[in-house]
Amino acid sequence: MLETIHLTKSYNGSKALEDLSMKINPGEIFCLLGANGAGKTTTINLLLNFIPPTSGTATINGIDVTQRPLETKKYLAYIPEQVMLYKNLSGLENLEYFTALSGAKYQRTELLCFLSEAGLPPEAAEKRVGTYSKGMRQKVGIAIAIAKSARVLLLDEPTSGLDPKAANEFSELLKKMRDSGSAILMATHDLFRAKETGTRVGIMKHGRMVAEMRTEEIGHTDLERIYLQHMHD
Amino acid sequence: MVTTIARKEMTEMVRDGRFRWTAGIVLALLAGAVLMGWQNYREVSAQHETAQRVTREHWLGQGTKNPHSAAHYGVYAFKPKLPLSLVDQGVDPWVGVSAWLEAHKQNEFKYRPAQDATALQRFGELTGATVLQVLIPLLIVLLTFSAFSGEREQGTLRQVLSVGARKSDLAAGKALGIGGALGTLLIPAIMLGVLALSLASDNGALFASVPRMALMALTYLLYFGALTAVALGVSAFVRSSRLALVTLLGFWIFNSLIAPRAVADIAKAAYPTPSAFDFSKRLDAALQEGADTRNRQLREGLLKKYNVDRVEALPVSFSGVSLQAGEEHGNEVFDRFYSGLWNTFHQQEQVHLYSSVAAPLLAVRSLSMGLAGTDFAQHAHFATAAEEYRRAIQRELNSEITANAAKVTGAYVRGRDLWERIPEFSYEAPGTQWVLARQWPALMLLTLWTALAVLFASVATRTLRTE
Repeated sequence: MLETIHLTKSYNGSKALEDLSMKINPGEIFCLLGANGAGKTTTINLLLNFIPPTSGTATINGIDVTQRPLETKKYLAYIPEQVMLYKNLSGLENLEYFTALSGAKYQRTELLCFLSEAGLPPEAAEKRVGTYSKGMRQKVGIAIAIAKSARVLLLDEPTSGLDPKAANEFSELLKKMRDSGSAILMATHDLFRAKETGTRVGIMKHGRMVAEMRTEEIGHTDLERIYLQHMHD
Repeated sequence: MVTTIARKEMTEMVRDGRFRWTAGIVLALLAGAVLMGWQNYREVSAQHETAQRVTREHWLGQGTKNPHSAAHYGVYAFKPKLPLSLVDQGVDPWVGVSAWLEAHKQNEFKYRPAQDATALQRFGELTGATVLQVLIPLLIVLLTFSAFSGEREQGTLRQVLSVGARKSDLAAGKALGIGGALGTLLIPAIMLGVLALSLASDNGALFASVPRMALMALTYLLYFGALTAVALGVSAFVRSSRLALVTLLGFWIFNSLIAPRAVADIAKAAYPTPSAFDFSKRLDAALQEGADTRNRQLREGLLKKYNVDRVEALPVSFSGVSLQAGEEHGNEVFDRFYSGLWNTFHQQEQVHLYSSVAAPLLAVRSLSMGLAGTDFAQHAHFATAAEEYRRAIQRELNSEITANAAKVTGAYVRGRDLWERIPEFSYEAPGTQWVLARQWPALMLLTLWTALAVLFASVATRTLRTE
C-alpha cells in the first residue's frame, strides 16, 4: 500500500534521510521511533511530496508520489502533531471544507456522523475551532481521514501533548482504521503506545533505519532496551 | 472546487472583525463620496442651466449700442458636465468649466474651485475616484497579503495540500473570495451610484452614459484584478506574512502616492509649461507686434481697392474691417500659442501614460477621467468649440459694422434684432468612440498589467512551498 525504495534526501550534502526502503501493507501500523532530527518527519514530508527526494522513490497504492502527487493524495490522510484548522470556522465547517477539497461531497448528517465516530462531542461540532482543545482538533483530523476513507494514514507524533485518556482514545481509533484495512505510518516518541498499537516498529537514527521488528515478538522492556542501545551508540 | 474555496475565504473574512470594520469604513467613504459627487453635480448643473439662461437674457437685453461694444459685453459658455463626472472630477477643478467670450481675447477658463480652495481641500477632496483608485487598493492589500503566507505560517497550507487540493485552485478560489468580499462593498456602492446618476440626470443622458459606465467598470475591474493577483503572488512568493505586508504596502505607497507626484514632476521637467504671467506677457507682445504696420497696409490696400483717397470715402466702414483684421491676426496668434501650450500638456499626458508601466494607477487615472469626460483632451475639445463660437460672434458683429456703419452719420448703434441673429452656444461633448480613440493605449497598458500580474501569481503559486 505504501512503499519507499532507496529513498534519500540530502540538504547541502548532509543526509536527512538515507536509503530508506520499507513497505507497509493494509491492516498494518508501522511506528517510526527515533530522536528529533532522525528523519521521521522528512520521511512523511517526502511521502506527501512536500519536498522532492534526492534519489529513490516513494509510492502510495503503487503510484509514484512525485509523478502523480494529486492522485496519491486521494488515498492518504495526514495528521500532524497539531492538526491545523481554520479558527474562524466550526469543526463541522472545517470537515466540510477539507472533504470538499479532497473531492468528496457529503450531507451534513453524514459529516456529523464522521465527527462523532472520531469521538468529537456533538455539541462541539458547531463551535468555532478557535475554542477547541488539542485533542478535539486531532479528532477533526481523524474525521477528515474517515470521511476520505483514507487507505494510507501518515501520522507525525499525533498523540504528543495529549492527555493519557485522549491518547488512548486516539489509539483506539487508529486500531479501528487499521482493522478496516488502512496502512498506517506513525512517527512517535511514545514507546509504550508504539508497542501497544503498532504492528511493527522501526528505529531511526541520523537518517537511517537502524532496526526493525514486529511488536508481537518483543515485550515492552525489550523495546525500550533496544531503543536505548541504539541511541547510545 | 474553486467556488468552495472562495466561499470559505469569504466566510472567514466576514467573521473577522477587522474586515468588518475596514469594509464598513470604506463603504461609508465610498457612499459619502458618491453623495458628495451627486450634490456637486446637481449644483453645478443647476448653476450652469441658470447661468446659461441668464447670459443669454443679458445678451439679448443689453439694449441699443454699437456692435463692437456688444462684442466687449461678451457671453459666457459652459461646459456641460457628464453624469459620470460625479465619480471622477478629473482636471475640472483646475481648468474650470466656463469660458468668458469677448472681443480680442481667447480667455482663460473661469469657475475653478481649486483656485478658491485651501491647500488642505485641494489634497483632501473625497471623490469616488479617490476611493476607487487609492483606498480600495489598500483594502485589497490588507485582505490579501496573508492569503498564502498566513496559511503557511499557521500550518493549514500543509493540511490543505495533504488532502489533494490543487495549488492553482487555491489561488483562483482565494482571488474569487477576495473579489466576492469586495463585491459586497462595491455592489451596494455601484447601486447607490447608479441611483444618484439617475436622479441627477434625465434618462436620455443616463442612457447615453451606459457605454462609458461599462468601460469605467471594466477599467476598475482590471485594476482590482491586477492588484489582487500581485498581492496573491507576493503572498505566495515571500517567506513571511510580515514581509508580504511590507512589500505590498511599499508597492501601494509607490503606486498611489509617489508615482503620481514624481511623474508629474518628470513630465513638467521634460516638457515645461510657461508660467501664466510669462505666457500672457509673450501673448500680449505677439498680439501687439506690428500693429501699426498692419493697420497702415490695410488702409492702403483698401484705399487702392476702392480707388479712393481717404478713409471717409470708403463704401465700407474702415473700423469694421480693421476690427475683423485685428481679430484674424489675434486668432492666428492664439492658435499658435494655445496649440503650443496644449501640445505641451498632451506631451505631459503621454509621459503619465507610459509611466503606467511602473504604476498601473496612472493608466487607470487617465481612463477614469477620460470616461468621466473630465480629462484635459475633453477640456481642450470644449475650449476649441467655445473659441470657434467666439470667433463666429466677432465675425458676425464686425461684418455688420463693415457693411453698415459707413452709411450712418454719427454713432452706429444696433438693437435686439442683431443680438438675436447670434445663435445660442450649443456644444456636444465627444462620444465614447472619440474618448476610446485617445485612451486605447491606457486600456492596453492596463490589460497588459493585469495579464502580467495573473502570470506572476500563477508562477508564484506553482512554486509555493509548504514552509
